[in-house]
Amino acid sequence: MVAPHSLPGNTKKTRDIKQEVNKLPSRALGPTEPAPTDNLDNMDELYLDNIDEFVNDHDKIVTYKWLSLTLGVHVNTAKQMLFHYLDHKRKESSPQLHATYLVSGKFVDKGQPGHTVSVVREDQLEDLKAKMSLIVSVHVYSVQKALLKDSGPLYSVDYDAVKDNLKSCSRYSAIRCAGAVPMSTQELQQTEREPQRAPSPEPAAKRSGESKPAPKPSTKPQRGIMGMFANKAPAKSQESGKEVKPEQRGDEPMAVATKSKPAAKANPAMNFFGNQTSKKPDKAVKEEEAAAAAAAAAAAAAAAVPSSCAAEQRHQSSPPEEKQEAAAAAAEEESPKDAKKDSRSKTKRIADSDSEEEKMEKKKRRRIKKPQPDSSDEDVIPDSPQQKETREPSPRPEMEVESVSHSHQSLPGAKTRKRRRVLKARTFVDDEGCIVTEKGYESESYSEAEDDAKAAKRAPADFIPAKPPAGSREDEKKKSQKKTSANASKGSKQASIMGFFQKK
Amino acid sequence: MTTLTRQDLNFGQVIADILCEFLEVAIHLILYVREVYPSGIFQKRKKYNVPVQMSCHPELNQYIQDTLHCVKPLIEKNDAEKVVVVIMDKEHHPVERFVFEISQPPLLSISSETLLSHVEQLLRAFILKISVCDAILNNNPPGCSFTVLVHTRDAATRNMEKVQVIKDFPWIVADEQEVHMQEPRLIPLKTMTSDIVKMQLYVEERAQKT
Repeated sequence: MVAPHSLPGNTKKTRDIKQEVNKLPSRALGPTEPAPTDNLDNMDELYLDNIDEFVNDHDKIVTYKWLSLTLGVHVNTAKQMLFHYLDHKRKESSPQLHATYLVSGKFVDKGQPGHTVSVVREDQLEDLKAKMSLIVSVHVYSVQKALLKDSGPLYSVDYDAVKDNLKSCSRYSAIRCAGAVPMSTQELQQTEREPQRAPSPEPAAKRSGESKPAPKPSTKPQRGIMGMFANKAPAKSQESGKEVKPEQRGDEPMAVATKSKPAAKANPAMNFFGNQTSKKPDKAVKEEEAAAAAAAAAAAAAAAVPSSCAAEQRHQSSPPEEKQEAAAAAAEEESPKDAKKDSRSKTKRIADSDSEEEKMEKKKRRRIKKPQPDSSDEDVIPDSPQQKETREPSPRPEMEVESVSHSHQSLPGAKTRKRRRVLKARTFVDDEGCIVTEKGYESESYSEAEDDAKAAKRAPADFIPAKPPAGSREDEKKKSQKKTSANASKGSKQASIMGFFQKK
Repeated sequence: MTTLTRQDLNFGQVIADILCEFLEVAIHLILYVREVYPSGIFQKRKKYNVPVQMSCHPELNQYIQDTLHCVKPLIEKNDAEKVVVVIMDKEHHPVERFVFEISQPPLLSISSETLLSHVEQLLRAFILKISVCDAILNNNPPGCSFTVLVHTRDAATRNMEKVQVIKDFPWIVADEQEVHMQEPRLIPLKTMTSDIVKMQLYVEERAQKT
């Protein structure tokens, strides 16, 4: 028989843990009361059909948080609905349903007492309950048709639902924090400036001092949420079962996390993006503005400072997730409010999502740029003559060719000219609108007296404007100092050779 | 924001990259969920902001990567119609086929801003669906193996045979035995439509698996 659902905060044991709990308007429950079927009579019975549809027809995993956001009910109501549904279905002996449970209570791990919150499969439920010294709360976490092998999908289910309801994901949660108020824009700007002065050795020191918070049921209060996210992040697979989440707060970990997710992520996320140039800041800024409506107090911002630099560090060097959580978790210890840890988890999420997207973008950009030089190199050879003629009729007359004539003249020492070949990369936008980067040898010639060398070189000669020897020979024959634009028209392939005859 | 059109060389490559990354994750996840390999070799990693199971076995990873490396040029040119992950029993008869039908719209012009997050969301939904598919599929017999088939146009097939994209990794025309499945049951899993690609995932399952 499944353990009865208990409402958090309605028993004396849990009251001291919670800061403040909203009670359901309906009858409150004690932990030992049987399943409250009559409690739900007031509510519309259609929800049973809804859940049935989700689970059986759509093959969805229905978590209580997802249900609460989808149906627009309080999380406690959602939990009760799930329990009721499960009970109902089991009695009817319909196709096999699986459920996971969230168990919260006191646990002694290797002599260390602590508060643990775990999500377990139904078959492991009784085992876990036996191990715990005191059970504070047990409730249904999710209902699904498939037997889940690991907890990954549970996180995925909530991810999109929460993302869609970013501003109001704590609307239905049972935990409130009076100190969590939206930051005004001035405070926001203030805190933006602060993290930039955050010292970098600080997270490093914290990192070394902390081990992985995830498996430890520690007594440290604020590590809970981060530990929870630690398990969902790409940590190494620790246990075959579900995770153990150390937390001292009550049994509404998800609610807490979601509630404060909008809280105070403005600051670290903003700072985070201050350090990089990417398109994603637009998106992040929008999210921050949305989130600024529900942000933590100013103290939260200060405490979030080390996490933001942790976030920076993480993004810059992309170390394993544990480190960032360790740093963040360590930072959390300083702040008494649990709102902040959620801001960090949200930061990390945003950071993750944006860094992921950024990496995708950067990869995209890198991929875009890389093939271009290869392809356009081939294009250089056949196209350059035509392109020169079609595209740059005007620069051609401008392009001054300092041909061999100059070199000849320099020999007798009339002008001191130096020519050298320089490998340069030129980036420009060609007529298709693609950014093309080309490397080529350019013969750079300068002398103290003349500038036209530079002016001519600056003319938009995309390709190595090498001239065939014939052109230069003509110049030689002419023995004139004047440049011939004819040279420009003859593009040639051999940059290395022709660069010598390059017009400048 | 620059608008990419299909004529851009970059566009096809970008799509192919995105799809191949997704296919790699999907194949690993299918191997995990269908228990083709023991779950000990899998490790949780993150993709599209959700945890996924990827294998750590180097040879398996290399095989999958080589496979997708060869498939990528086909996707770039929009030659690949279907990519199929076939799970076969000991006698090399297919037991399950996970079919990814991919189609790319021919004329396309999109801005890359809206693209990423939306596509990410859709791909995330695919991954979630694969994770729970064992609710609707029967269990596989033990000792299964897997292979990847690609359905392409005729000319592309010949090209692939001629040119070895990766050394010592030849592609051959699949046997009829591997392609044809007896009494298949079709179970659709997920469909996605976006500006850049339309993808459909369904499973063909043999009615009797043992």
